Amino acid sequence: MTKSDWMLNRRQLVGMMGVSLAGLAVRPGFALGAGEIPIGMVLPFTGATGPYGPDMKKAADLVVKTINDASGVLGGRKLQLYIEDSETSATTSVTATRKLLDVNKVEVVGGFWGSPEALAAKPLILAASKVQMVSASADGITDGDNKGLVYRFQAKSSQWGPAGAKVMTSLNLKKVAILAQQNPFVVAMIEPFKQEMTKRGGTVVEVVMYNPNQASYRAEVEKAFGSEPDGVFCASLLTDFVAIAKEAYRGGFRSKIVALGTGADADGAFIKSVPNEVSEGIHHLQPGPPLESAAYKKFVKEMGAPDGTVFLFAGNTHDQICVTALAMEHAKSTEAAVWVKSIREVCNPPGENVDDIVRALEMVRAGKKINFVGAGATVDFNDRGDQLNRSFVHQVIRSGKNQIVEIVA
Amino acid sequence: MMIYLSTVIVLVSVAALVGLGLNFQWGVAGLVNFGVVGFVALGAYTAALSVSHVGWLSAMVLAAAVSAAASTILAFLSIRLADDYLAIVTIGFGEVINILLLNEDWLTGGALGIANIPRPLSSIIPAAQYDTILPLLAMLLVALTFAALETLVQSPLGRALRAVRDDPTVVSALGKPVLVLRIKAFAVGGAVMGIAGSLHAFYLTYIDPGQFTSIITAYAFMAVILGGRGSNLGLLIGACTIMSLIEATRFLKDTLSIVDGVQLAALRLGLVGLGIILLLLLRPQGLLAEPHKRIRDFFPDSEETH
Repeated sequence: MTKSDWMLNRRQLVGMMGVSLAGLAVRPGFALGAGEIPIGMVLPFTGATGPYGPDMKKAADLVVKTINDASGVLGGRKLQLYIEDSETSATTSVTATRKLLDVNKVEVVGGFWGSPEALAAKPLILAASKVQMVSASADGITDGDNKGLVYRFQAKSSQWGPAGAKVMTSLNLKKVAILAQQNPFVVAMIEPFKQEMTKRGGTVVEVVMYNPNQASYRAEVEKAFGSEPDGVFCASLLTDFVAIAKEAYRGGFRSKIVALGTGADADGAFIKSVPNEVSEGIHHLQPGPPLESAAYKKFVKEMGAPDGTVFLFAGNTHDQICVTALAMEHAKSTEAAVWVKSIREVCNPPGENVDDIVRALEMVRAGKKINFVGAGATVDFNDRGDQLNRSFVHQVIRSGKNQIVEIVA
Repeated sequence: MMIYLSTVIVLVSVAALVGLGLNFQWGVAGLVNFGVVGFVALGAYTAALSVSHVGWLSAMVLAAAVSAAASTILAFLSIRLADDYLAIVTIGFGEVINILLLNEDWLTGGALGIANIPRPLSSIIPAAQYDTILPLLAMLLVALTFAALETLVQSPLGRALRAVRDDPTVVSALGKPVLVLRIKAFAVGGAVMGIAGSLHAFYLTYIDPGQFTSIITAYAFMAVILGGRGSNLGLLIGACTIMSLIEATRFLKDTLSIVDGVQLAALRLGLVGLGIILLLLLRPQGLLAEPHKRIRDFFPDSEETH
């Protein structure tokens, strides 16, 4: 290589470095109109939990539109929602959160389907004194010194376990096995499940933990179902549960399956993913939205889903937006550290029950004390930001349709 | 915007360090390592577990040492393996590490991971300035590593390694210990990956096995291929380009209204892949080819035309 080649290369080099950095250096022009209030969400669209994201986004977009069409908040200011893909990765969740906080200047970062994503982003959001709203379960999210800025729109892991045991015993399944994915959400519910089973006179004969993203679950399914327990508690997510259900059907096992709604429902995705013979008779449970409330029925209609669909995650993002808007209106401020103190004022009793966001905003404006009821839950919080009164919906799949068996308190 | 950029700088630095490690093993010494992510994870967990006992600097050194040790052992195991077979063993190694981290919860916290990892110098640097200091530290690390590796590549060891890559039989006929050279290359690369892992852990302050998936390996290979195999400078450009592309595409949906977020999420990573395919078609040697010294570089008056 001659000297002149080197000169050329160096020029090329500078050019290439320039090009590679240009993408970042150019600050995109945001169409943020006067007085718009930026809010953000980190949702999964790709990766293992990708199937959950689109409905959560749709629900959030819908309610932002409803609020903005009805004159917005704080005297006509519109909400501007920025959504980032978490790629089901804690690392990406951090860059996405950073972008929302630092570039879009959001007041709240919501969404957060997965616990690792929520845990990784938490320190950033707290350091910026903004509000974090999650739809994830790991107990660790609301533990520690959160400066009152973290709110969970979901049941805690440790609440799922006992609810699962209650469903087991109500189906008269005494000898049970656990088949569970190794992830932070599931790990925290195993012990509470076992304790509740023992309390109710049942026994756990086998605990089989498996790693996510396996190519096959045959060995695990055979180990869990092989001892012919009365029931198997499948603590799974959608993609692995689809494989497990097929494997259990193929193996001809007769043990009853009680699964989490994250696997056997996932906002209706499971029954679409397997033939009816496979899904027939599978029981599942998940924290229930207020199914009978007018707001929930309206929400299901707006989402374009058939009556009676149980939206577990989509309702949560809807509620996160509503609670943010109401708290801002109540505090008459967009300052996160200020309006976060109003969250329990508008969400918890006492106050008039109201489930329509537009009417709720009007009432707050009129100075009335309200108790907002959301589409995902009744949205009442304790002082750690955990949701109170989360009841679980126990359903069974018959002929490819979910049927409600009972509500477990 | 500045704080966001600082995040990107740290992540680019981590990717660049991982890439530099791989470039030394694969680009220079010709050893395919598909288990890159395993070594990064080892570094991250070693740093996270030891930092509160020994301080950040020693934790980083320890991370490098553990990763290097694991690399050495793996290199020994692969004594008779080359090319494709070595690749398969390293894939297995990466998986084994991930499964160990996920299941040995007495040590690693299992799926819950390790939270609240103390950051370097966080007691002296005020939190407000931390976002400027950490990127500087990260860039310093990259610069030091780059200088060290570049020195190695230019040294007799580097020449011997390139010779092993190009034709091990000739090297051994010349009396050079091929196995020892390979082990050295693997260990040095592993150490750099361990340092990258520790930087990752210090930046995120929370690690879990889910962060260490094979996408890290894929990005490292992309960076090496894009930059030009064997060229450290090219690698830095490659790593910058890939991470910038991935981050810059985030802004597309804020400015473009024709695609919505869900479609873009699927398109984004696809676009990055498409970019790399195009680049390989148009410039297969990478952005910056490995500098080859010719006779004319030493004897300008030589008759050779190249």
